[in-house]
Amino acid sequence: MMEMKVLNMLVPMTLSGLVTTLGVFIITLVVSVPLSIVVAKLRMSKNLFVSNITAAYIYVMRGTPLLLQLMFIFFGYHYVPVIGYAFGRYQAIFVAFILNYTAYFAEIFRGGINSIDVGQYEASKVLGLSKSHTFMKIVLPQVMKTVMPSVGNEVITLVKDTSLVYILGVTEILKAAKAVSNTYATFSPYIYIGLVYLLITAVLTKVLNKVENKFNYYR
Amino acid sequence: MVLKVKDLGKSFGKTSIFKQVSFDVDKGEIVCIKGKSGEGKTTLLRCINDLEKADAGSIEINGLIMCKEENGHIKYAAKDEMLSIRQEIGLVFQSYNLFPHMTVKENLMEAPLFLKKMPKNQIEQSAMELLNQLELDGKENSYPYQLSGGQKQRVAIARACMLNPSILCFDEPTSALDESTRMQISKIIRQLSAQGIAIIIVTHDNAFVDEIAQRVITLSKGSISEKLI
Repeated sequence: MMEMKVLNMLVPMTLSGLVTTLGVFIITLVVSVPLSIVVAKLRMSKNLFVSNITAAYIYVMRGTPLLLQLMFIFFGYHYVPVIGYAFGRYQAIFVAFILNYTAYFAEIFRGGINSIDVGQYEASKVLGLSKSHTFMKIVLPQVMKTVMPSVGNEVITLVKDTSLVYILGVTEILKAAKAVSNTYATFSPYIYIGLVYLLITAVLTKVLNKVENKFNYYR
Repeated sequence: MVLKVKDLGKSFGKTSIFKQVSFDVDKGEIVCIKGKSGEGKTTLLRCINDLEKADAGSIEINGLIMCKEENGHIKYAAKDEMLSIRQEIGLVFQSYNLFPHMTVKENLMEAPLFLKKMPKNQIEQSAMELLNQLELDGKENSYPYQLSGGQKQRVAIARACMLNPSILCFDEPTSALDESTRMQISKIIRQLSAQGIAIIIVTHDNAFVDEIAQRVITLSKGSISEKLI
């Protein structure tokens, strides 16, 4: 009886929280993956200024907790007068997640780009292919195959990291569980939400495996 | 002359690899460059293919100047001009450097499609003709990992030939091949030479040099000596 009450409250809240969880997840992924390829290239730039600035950005993003970054971007604009702009809750969430995940993905892509044999670049040059064509058609498809397992790891972590948006007062699935747990003084909502996370992860693992297998057509 | 190399010099830091290297190559001629390991054979070949920048001297390919010395400094052709020069010369790498994620046919078609030398169906037709000529018919949809060393070598030759180069360079073409495949490659090289393509082969395989070379250039202690066969 009690469990029915819990579920009656939890299900609609979870569904509404799921919109936030999946929204943050999808937008972060869609924006940060392509952006991270650009950042990886900038990090590898021969221009020391560009390379150092990018390295500093990656250092800050990887060296501080995402929770702190969320708080800083939402509350901390007073301390960075250059920005002079107060982000809305969702804007702050997207900016923080995209900046953070771009840094992690950029390092993964940098590793992938570095792993490509120099002979691939030389063959492209000898054949008269331009640098951009070489990158897009020769290097990047091979990089994608190399980085897929590491990118997959980050993708799974991203799903779980979306729970951090509670700090800005936004309800996602974990916060929904907390609210129901507080109302009925029971731990069971957390178990249900744990199962929801496992379900999302199972679907993602399946999708990621399919993507990885798509690259197995060559060695 | 399709290739004129004059007083070419190359150093890495303070280490001089070769200096004042001069030689010419005629249309359809097969020239072998031999020498001990570390004498700079491959570096010379890489300079001719613009994979390394020379420090001194000049390189002229089919009347187009890749680099020349001006006021004591070497000056390379502008980007657009270099693109035209690059199409005059092909290189078959020692490790082939095929694009592993592309089929044999895609490997062959990539550069001509990018350079838009011909319509796509015409490019595809030339690719199939070349594959047929190099006894690779039936392999057009295979990926490089599905090929033997000799087949990869022939795909690399076909890929270089797709741009109709005047000169085709080979870096140690026989280093990883067995005897029968080596014979097959030397037959192909002779065929290409008969079609008027100048061939430059860097090798330390003396038996192969004896078998195929019309002229031998020996690189030793940074300078060259030539021998006509």
